[in-house]
Amino acid sequence: MIRTMITATNTMNQLQHQFDIIGNNLANSSTHGFKASQASFQELLYEQFTNDKADRAPRQSPVGIRYGTGAKIAQTQMNWKMGSLQSTERQLDFALTTPKQYFNVIMPTEGGEETVYTRQGSFYITPIEGGQLMLVNDDGNPIANAQGMPILFNDDVADYHVQPGGILEVTGNDGTVTRIELGITVIERPNLMEHLSGTYIGLPRNLAELGVTEDDVFTNLQGADRNLIGLQNGVLETSNVHYEKEMTDLINVQRNYQFNARAVTLADQMLGLINGIR
Amino acid sequence: MFRGFYTVASGMLAQQRKTEMLTNNMANVNTPGFKAEQSSIRSFPEMLMSSVQSTHIPSENGFNMKGIATFGPLSTGVYMKETMPLFIQGQLQETELTTDVALVDGFLPVDEETGIQGAVFFTLENDAGGTYYTRNGNFALDANGFLTSSSGYYVLDSEGNRIALQGDDFRVTESGVIMEDDNDVATLGISFAARPDALMKQGDGLFVTETGENLVAVNTIPNATYSIQQGFVERSNVDAGRTMTDLLTAYRAFEANQKVLQAYDRSMEKAVNEVGRV
Repeated sequence: MIRTMITATNTMNQLQHQFDIIGNNLANSSTHGFKASQASFQELLYEQFTNDKADRAPRQSPVGIRYGTGAKIAQTQMNWKMGSLQSTERQLDFALTTPKQYFNVIMPTEGGEETVYTRQGSFYITPIEGGQLMLVNDDGNPIANAQGMPILFNDDVADYHVQPGGILEVTGNDGTVTRIELGITVIERPNLMEHLSGTYIGLPRNLAELGVTEDDVFTNLQGADRNLIGLQNGVLETSNVHYEKEMTDLINVQRNYQFNARAVTLADQMLGLINGIR
Repeated sequence: MFRGFYTVASGMLAQQRKTEMLTNNMANVNTPGFKAEQSSIRSFPEMLMSSVQSTHIPSENGFNMKGIATFGPLSTGVYMKETMPLFIQGQLQETELTTDVALVDGFLPVDEETGIQGAVFFTLENDAGGTYYTRNGNFALDANGFLTSSSGYYVLDSEGNRIALQGDDFRVTESGVIMEDDNDVATLGISFAARPDALMKQGDGLFVTETGENLVAVNTIPNATYSIQQGFVERSNVDAGRTMTDLLTAYRAFEANQKVLQAYDRSMEKAVNEVGRV
């Protein structure tokens, strides 16, 4: 049968996935702390045809012909480069100014609590039992301190300040100062992390299978290492989606899709010609 | 009776194969490092046609002698003989990813016998411990920190060893030296093929030698130059406009063959239904 159709359809199917990735990047172009992903293609298998064993004609290439069967997405990679900083002048907006550093968020799951990582630093306070306040993010999940515990302080706050070393200083109305070490993790291998919903990334479920330990992937900054933290408040990190790059890619993928669709049409017409022989 | 009947059928088959190959080129218009295939179509081995005829010998009694005379060669069809990748340089595309490297051809010596320019490749380790060659520099780090191709084969350095890295914060110089914190860790192993036509495509953008022998390292070739660009990939060298034109040409040639087949069929119809009418 006509292989053209299968080759083109294989590829169209994969191009659709690339569309989805570009669409997701574009949709999140104004999500703070979002990291763009990009897909790259690779050739599918080649089939070797030895159609001319008896043929002794001079040739340059090895015997037979090799048929390609289309293209597929080889890998999607996250671009961990920093987005630009946007000033919001809001005290509870934080931006990490060093790449690869992430806030720790405590997320409730079916199997208990789990720590996930994000660079989206728009935080809020929420009252909890006992007249205390808790630092949470947009989704209402608690932010962890350096010990991995939720951050709590008294319901009497005049001001928030960020000090070097990732320390959040909460000044009460009576002048008392509470110093909280925000939990910051350096993820050395961001491409190994699993993309969860939103801007969260988490450890891959098959970490043990991959033959790596948590220590290979990230470091929780403690003690002297905390001086590496670059943290600012009153600003947010915007997404690192390049609008123009995504649009160019989108056009490119669409044209590529059209080319392949055209190949399907041509294959269909060829089948029509075969049927029309008689 | 009708010698050309199967000839046109073979013509249709050859054109169909050509469209299949062109569709694969079109499918890989976005695949990094893809080298477009070209085909050559060849006629079947020729055969000498002869006719049984009588030769008149000028004699008194008008003696005729039966004899066989040849009146020229005839070919009974065509087939697609070769598919050969075209090894010209693809354009570079920026990806911002540190694990992406593009190989740029510099001066490469031309084979004296064939007049074909040599080609340079990244060297990969295959499952059996042999080597694969590729132009696709869309690399990644595996879980253990080894540099791999997008399909997971280890990238080899100039000594033939795998390349182990701490993370993706490395720098690659133009000559292919990988630097981590100002220390040179490894040098990308670049192989040189004096006769790139003799390589076979394996799918996934991989090339192998026909005999399984390894190619030589490029630094053993005097005057051969190349450069490496980090953060870029080499785009596929498929010319979409030309491929579409070729596809349409092949389609029309297929159609023309089909028309001739129909004409043969009508001739046969005459022979069967009209000549034979009693």
